[in-house]
Order: sequence, then C-alpha cells, then structure tokens
Amino acid sequence: MPITGEHVDVERKPKLGGGGPGKIPHRRGFGGGDDGDRDRFHDFHSRKARLHRLRVGMALCIVSVAGVFACLTLVFLLRRQIGPWDPARKTWVSDWGRLTLPYLMLWVNSAALLLSSGTLELARRRMQRQMEFADLGILPFRTQRDFPWLGLTVLLGFGFLGGQLMVWNHFRLQGAFVHTHPSSSFFLIFTGLHAIHLLGGLLALIYAAGGNWMQIRFDSQVLAVEVTAWYWHFMAVLWVAIFALLYFVR
Amino acid sequence: MSLSSSSTSTHAGKSFLRRYLFSTDHKIIGVQYFFLSLAAALTGALLSLLMRIHLVWPKAALPFLGPMKPEDYLGFLTIHGTVMVFFVLSTLPQSGLGTYFLPLQLGAREMAFPALNMAGFWTTLVSFLVLMAALLAPGGASIAGWTQYAPLSAIATAGPGQGLGTDLWLVSIGLFCLGTMMSAIGFIATTVNRRAPGMRWMRMPLPCWAWFVTAILILLAFSLLLLALVLLLLDRHAGTSFFVPAGLVVSGKAVEHSGGSPLLWQHLFWFFGHPEVYIAILPAMGITSHLLSVFSRKPVFGYKAMVAAILAIGVLGFMVWGHHMFVSGMNPYGGFAFSSLTTAIAVPSAIKVFNWLGTIYGGRIRFSTPMLFSIGFVSLFITGGLTGPLLAQPALDAYLHDTYFVVAHFHLIMGMAGLFAIFAATYFWFPKMFGRMMNERLGALHFWITLAGAYAIFMPMHLLGAAGHPRRYSELTGVQYVATTAPLQVFITVAAVVTVGGQAVFLLNLFWSMYKGPKAGANPWDCSTLEWKDAGFDDRTPTVEHGPYEYSVPGAEKDFVAQDAPGNRIT
Amino acid sequence: MRVALTIALLFIALGCAWLFVAHPWWFPAGVSAQAAALDHEFKVAFLLLGSLFIAGQIALAFFLLRSRRNGNALYHRGDWRFEIAWTLAIAALFFWFNVSGEKLWSRMMLHQPDADAVQIEVTGAQFQWYFRYSGADGVFGRTDAQKFARPEEGNPLGIDPADPVGHDDIVSAALVLPEDSDVELILRAQDVIHSVFIPAMRFKQDAVPGMSIHAHVRPIATGNYEIACAELCGTGHYRMRAPVRVLSQEQFAAWLNAQEKAKE
Repeated sequence: MPITGEHVDVERKPKLGGGGPGKIPHRRGFGGGDDGDRDRFHDFHSRKARLHRLRVGMALCIVSVAGVFACLTLVFLLRRQIGPWDPARKTWVSDWGRLTLPYLMLWVNSAALLLSSGTLELARRRMQRQMEFADLGILPFRTQRDFPWLGLTVLLGFGFLGGQLMVWNHFRLQGAFVHTHPSSSFFLIFTGLHAIHLLGGLLALIYAAGGNWMQIRFDSQVLAVEVTAWYWHFMAVLWVAIFALLYFVR
Repeated sequence: MSLSSSSTSTHAGKSFLRRYLFSTDHKIIGVQYFFLSLAAALTGALLSLLMRIHLVWPKAALPFLGPMKPEDYLGFLTIHGTVMVFFVLSTLPQSGLGTYFLPLQLGAREMAFPALNMAGFWTTLVSFLVLMAALLAPGGASIAGWTQYAPLSAIATAGPGQGLGTDLWLVSIGLFCLGTMMSAIGFIATTVNRRAPGMRWMRMPLPCWAWFVTAILILLAFSLLLLALVLLLLDRHAGTSFFVPAGLVVSGKAVEHSGGSPLLWQHLFWFFGHPEVYIAILPAMGITSHLLSVFSRKPVFGYKAMVAAILAIGVLGFMVWGHHMFVSGMNPYGGFAFSSLTTAIAVPSAIKVFNWLGTIYGGRIRFSTPMLFSIGFVSLFITGGLTGPLLAQPALDAYLHDTYFVVAHFHLIMGMAGLFAIFAATYFWFPKMFGRMMNERLGALHFWITLAGAYAIFMPMHLLGAAGHPRRYSELTGVQYVATTAPLQVFITVAAVVTVGGQAVFLLNLFWSMYKGPKAGANPWDCSTLEWKDAGFDDRTPTVEHGPYEYSVPGAEKDFVAQDAPGNRIT
Repeated sequence: MRVALTIALLFIALGCAWLFVAHPWWFPAGVSAQAAALDHEFKVAFLLLGSLFIAGQIALAFFLLRSRRNGNALYHRGDWRFEIAWTLAIAALFFWFNVSGEKLWSRMMLHQPDADAVQIEVTGAQFQWYFRYSGADGVFGRTDAQKFARPEEGNPLGIDPADPVGHDDIVSAALVLPEDSDVELILRAQDVIHSVFIPAMRFKQDAVPGMSIHAHVRPIATGNYEIACAELCGTGHYRMRAPVRVLSQEQFAAWLNAQEKAKE
C-alpha cells in the first residue's frame, strides 16, 4: 500500500467564497496559493494535472527564450551587414572583426552538454518508472538507490559551464573582450546568455537531485525532473544552433 | 465538515506575513497589485501636473521643489510615461485585476504557479521602487523619455540624468519585464489548464479572453524588450556598439563607439512597444465588453466576433511597429507595408466598437457607476481611435509625428480609455474585493468630472498638433510659433489641475467605502459569471452549464442565468 | 442619467466638431510644393473620420436614450449578417483611405529632385542647427567632427582643413532657400537624434547620427519660417530652432555671393 506522508488536513470552518455580507473575501475561502503541493500525493489525477500545468509553463518559458535568441540572431545577421557609414564612398565600412574559435574546447563542451542531455533522459525515464511502481504500491514512495544519472547530469552541466569559462578566458588572453569588435561582442553575448539560461536549468536539477536531503516529496522531485528535462534538451538544441551559427557565420 | 477531494489549502496556521504580505493567494496578490498601481497612478498624475505647470509658467516656484529646470521637466516626463504605461496601464488591468479575477471567472481554485505569481508581484514592486529611486539620482531621472531612443540613452554625457538615472531606469524596466512575464506564464497556464469543468473556450467571459491573449503578448514582447535593455546596458557599460554609431561628438567630447545603429534600437523598442499598447488596452476592452453586457442586461453582441477581434488585434499588434518610424530614416518602402497593416488593425477595433453599440442597443440599462465609466470608455475609444487611421498614413504622420496630435491620440485611446475601464472595473469589483459597495453618488460625480476633464484636456491638443507644436518641449519660449499657442496650453493646464484634483472624490470614495460602505450582498450586480457565485466554490468546483452572458433569457425566472445554474444548456 | 448622458454625448460630438471647424489654432499656410496635396488629404481625413466620430457618438447617445424602462432587455446575441456587413464596409472605407494615403506617400518620397537642385547639408548638434552650402565648386568638403569640430573657432561641423574642396563651403545658422526650386537636404547629426520640422513646408525628417538622410523640399513662397526640433534631444530640445528664409532665386544667388565674399 502507498505510504501515507506527513500530510495533514487542517480542520476548517465552512467559508464563503466572497462577497458575502460584510465579509472581506480575501480573508476567507478560495485560493490559498496552492498549486497541488498539498494535494494528497497518491492522487494520480491531481499529480497528472500538475505535471500538465508545469509542462505548459515550461513550454511558455521555452518559447520566450527561443524568441530572445531568435531576435538576437536577427540582430547578429543585420549587424554583420552594416558598420560605420562612410559618407565619402557612400558605403558601409565593415568593422566586424575576426575571431578564431577554440574549436577543441567548444567541441568538448558540446559533447559534454549533449551527453548530459542523454543522461538526464535516462534519469527521467527511471524516475518515471519508479513513480509508476510506487503508484502500484510495488516500490516505496521515495527515490530508489540507483545509478546517479541525475548527479552525472549535474556534473556534466557544471563541466560545460567550466568549459565555457575556459573558452572565455581563452578570448581574454587573446585580447578579445566584449567591446573589442562586434564579432567578439556577439560571441560573448550568445554564449553568456546561453550560460545564464543553462544555470537556471542546473539549479532546478540540483533541486531535484538534492531532493532527498532537502526532504522534498518524491513526486515533486519527479515533476521537477520531468519538466526540467524539456528545458535541458532545449538548452542542448539551442547550444547546437548557436554553435552552428557562430561556426558558419563568422 | 466534509473535506472535498480537491482542496485542502487554507490560511489557517499561517503567520500574518505569509497570509497578507508574502501570500501566494491570488486574491491577496491582486489587491497588492491594485494598491501598487494606485500609488503609481497618483505619482504619474502628480508628475504630469508638475510638467503642465512648468510648461506654461516656467518661472513659477513650486512648493518644496522651487523653480523647475528643463531637465526636471524631461525627467518627470520620462517617469510619468514609464509609470503610466508600465505600472498603471499594463499592471492594473492585467496583473492586478487579472490575477484576482481570472481564476474566479474561470472557476479555477487558484492561479497556476502561485509562488511564481507572488514572485512576479514582488519583482514588480522592486522595479517600481528602483524607478522612483531614479528620481532621486544625482542629475535626476533619465531625460530620454519612456522610449529611451539611442544614442541619447546610450551616452552618459548626453545630458543630466543620462548617467545613474538612466541606469536605474534600465534596471527597473528589466525587473518589470521579468515580473510581468512571471505573472503572464501563470495566466496562460491557468487559462489552458485550470478552467472549471464545462468552461469551454467559447464559454469564457470576455475579460478572460483578453487576459489570456494579453499574457501571450506579454510573454513575447517583454522578453524581447529585456534583450534590448541588456544590449543597451552593454553599450553603456561594456563598451559594445549596438546602438551608437561612429564619429559622435557629445558635449564637445569624442565618443568611442563605432558602427552601431540608432534605428536598431527603435526597431527593437517598437517591436515591443506596439504590442505593449495592446497589452494596455486589450484587458480594458475585455472588461468593458463584460460590463456593458451586465449593465445592459443583454448578452454580448457577437461574442464570437469579439473573441476573433481580440485574437486579430493580438496577431496584428506584432506587425505594425514601423508606424512609429515613418520619419526615422527607415526605408520609405517600409512605410507602405506598415501603413497598410496599421490600417488593417483598425478593422478589428471597429468591430469591437460596433459590437459594444450592439450590446447597448435594446438593453434595459442600469446606470450604475461601472456602467457610466464603460460608456465613457466607448465614447473615448471612438474619439481616440479615429485619429488612428489618420496617423497610420505615412504622409500625414510625417507632419503630425511627435506633435501634440499624437499625444492627444494615445492619451485618449490608451490613457483615458484605459483609465475609464480601470475605474469601471474598480467600482464593479469593489464589492467582491472588499465586501462593501462604493458610493454611487460620489461615483457619478467622479465620472462627470473625469469625462469632462478627459475631453477638455486632450481635445485641444489636436489643434496644437495641427499647428505643428512638437511634444516634449519643456517651455513654450524657445520657438516663436510655439509661443503663440500659450493661451491654449494654459487652458489645458487648468483643466488638468481640476481633473486630477477631482480624483480626490474617487480616493475618498475608495477608502471611505472600504471601511464604511454599505455591506454588499453576494451578487450585488446580478451577474451570471462565476466570480459572483453565492457561496464561493472553494469546496466544490462548479460545473459550468451556460455561456457567460445569459441575461434576459426569455422564460427564465430571473433576468440572468448563472453560468453554473443547473438546467438546459443555453450555449 | 439617461438624458444627462445623451446630452453630454451630443455636446461632446458637436463641441469637438466645432473645435475642428472653428480651429482657433491650425496648420500654418503651406508654402511648399507638397503642401497642397497634403492639406487636401488632411481635409479628406478630417471629414471622413470626423463624420465617423459624430456618427459613433450619436449612435451611442441614441442607444442610451432608447434604453428600456419596462420589461426585459432584448435577448439578442448578435447577427452575423450585420457583423459581416459592417466589417466589410469599414474595411472598404479604411482600405480606400489607406490607398489614397499611400499614393500621396509615394508622390512625396519616391521621386527624385531635379538634377540642378541646391544641395544643403543640415546638421543637428545639441542644441543648434547648422546648414552647409557647398560653395562655388558644388562639392562638400570632407568632415570629421571628432577631429576638427571647434564651434568656438567657427568650424562647428569639423570640416577637414586639409581638404581643398571644403574651403569654399559656407556654414550658416539660418536655412536660406531659393523659391520655386528643388532643394535637396542632406540630414546628419553629430550627437543624438534630432528632427528637422518645418511646419509651413509640411516637412519633417529625423537627422540620425551615423546616417546621411536625403530629403527634398520645394518652397513656393518667399518669407520667414521656422525649424523646430521634433525629436527629443536633451534639455535644450525646446529651444532648438532655426530660422528659415525663402528668397527669390535672384536674392538667393546674391545671398550666396555675399556669403562667399564674407568668407574671403
């Protein structure tokens, strides 16, 4: 049978949903800031609804982030065409600048990120299966001892960020700063924005992976992994797109 | 009592802070947004008065401030525009009223992601405080206006207020982008996922449609604004050149940038900025459609056409940004496309006006204060909207661009119409939010003052624009033909002082009614939508059976059929 | 309330209409070749949109007056036939209006000035306009504001002293134009965006730093007019004006000569 947790139902008086004579509705009833955290966790349907909501939210985040990068790409391509205007020759002067990318580092970083996407997918599937078994009452309602795919993902994620730091350091030593020329500006802005967004995903994964110590409910952990997986794969795809863009359009 | 399967949440056992301050309850957050916007609106109105007084009496010494300088005028202008556009018109109808009433109208127990929703409010509050801090920055607030055109905004030496004042502006708006996007994600997820059983898309009340579409606009538009702000900050502090071209000399000093394009900022800004005006007005349209139906006791005329118009405005809103740039040096061929698309967006707006009139026609109108303000909204929307197709013509806009004609246009259609919808919604939902009714007599007085004021302030501005009076002039003395408009400017200033002073009636009514108003019944306006359900639905999710606007149904016992009333389905 | 609202709306409709008919402040008399066509388009626009405005306010007032006092309201949820008819009608009207505006825009923007048009370089700097005439050789000298701009030494535009064609360039603080002749304005800015607005000539064009924007205008009446800056450029925006003097062609030639003499 499913383990019952420390979830306590609070005894309440009947409430008016609002607008009742003289009642100030926001003091009573309806809407307590609950997004299913306090639902009974063996309630399969409410969990599913919560997952669905989180996925919608995540899809929106992804659309929004994709919009930002699409717009930045547009600015990048436009800026490449123009430079300072030379009124004498009536033409744009190119001030684009040339970057030599440290390909070895970037390929290693890319490999780390793509690999982490794979390990996260494994972690997600295993946790999902455990959840199904827990629902059936076969397994206890907590994280099982298993190969730490999630931890590996986090490590690979940090590896990628560390690798990016090395890439930036490489440019620093070359004398290519964010203000040096447009080419270096865009490279650093693209990779920097990507790193910031990736860091967000990494924090979510740490939250999920550290769930046992932080005493987060198992189903919340699974949800976090389920939803972050989307984001993480998106980050990998985004990285490939950025890398391709910077590789082909220099 | 029996516990339902769905809800176990409660305020009981939470500390005061968790209950009223850091609450994740959408009703508390809605009220918090309401008061934040109220403070912002008062700030913005006060600044506008200071500007108007300086404009016509530049030598006048003001109490506490002394004589104002041109840079004070421009700083106040920037903060007035920013506060009104972002913290009043985008915040109150959408984040404020939407957070409170979207879940209620949809029959959802709570917003999706309540913690995110709360974070959204606190980010917005911090953003507002940062903006206010800009007023106190050395050199004052940014003088570049709410559009922050580069290179004026990109170069710290271009004027007083272009240093720390502009940085604070950029940080504030960056935070605002984050806060409002957090809130928008919750709006979309709630609408998609948390509607009550039976609340089909075509049974959603029109405000919900408007909030939903607006949230999508926010998500797309504000993320791009955030990117533009980051690039501008980098231009200012990291030495990049996105918006600053080569060869500039500012205040006698050479500027070390090279190769950026000032037009790029304008494109990025207006790609956000035009959807932004629909972010401000769409919820107002939705709320007004709702109120006209309620107080005419009639179904909304052409509900589906209304929904289609909201969607069309949302889509077209992203394609018209270039109409702000007809004389910016953009390729003149761009003018053709943007002009046509801008005229096209007037069509869904005209459909809405037609349907509002159709809703009123043959109604049994109850002239309560919310209805008065809704009627005022329609009148102002027609007035302000009809100058839109005129300004959409590049040739005519070339003359009127950046004159008082444009000021009149957007203040009437976005500012005044938006404000009228906000007032209507406040009078309408006050009993729900505070359990008491607002005073009807004071409400009517407030309506008449504000309606007269709106027309008296903004109609004459059309003439100023026709006379070629550029906007954002801090004094009338600099240009000879501008100086001849002084009598009209004095009239406008007096009208503005009286109108803003008249808002004291509203404040008095608001705070008096909060404590002393007559207690409201559960459904004081005889409304059919779910937020007025007699006993709330915290323990029982309602099942929706009917469309949102079933008023005066022949044969029904009352003149409205609640959305969750049992019985034969009507729609 | 019903009656009060009706009266108020009628008052608004008539009052606003009166404001536009009596127009105590209005467009200055047009003195450029494009002014007549533009003013005609304005008239069309005000008539069309003004009548829609009056119709809208009166319809609103009328429907409020007709509000029922007994019995239920009409139970009517709209009619697709009305909806489509109205949409098509208003779309056709706006489309027609838009096409007429686009035609005007193409007439204004898409034609080249005469080959012998006078070229004048207009430069905006905080908070002053400079007008440069190319002098006898008809060629502008090279400028580099960062290196050579010295307003106090009479070289505010930074004309390169090493460039021989720049020696006869005339820099004026007033825009002096010949009557009945195409004038090509080359708009530039030294620091931030400014905008050249000559209301009497129905002319407005932003001067954007980093760009040279070509525009042209053809004055058709002599007289004194004003440029006002129409793009927020800083604290002195409100006083960034410049006089515009339209001279007959002979007077204009004489003025140019006098300037060159003064320079030597």
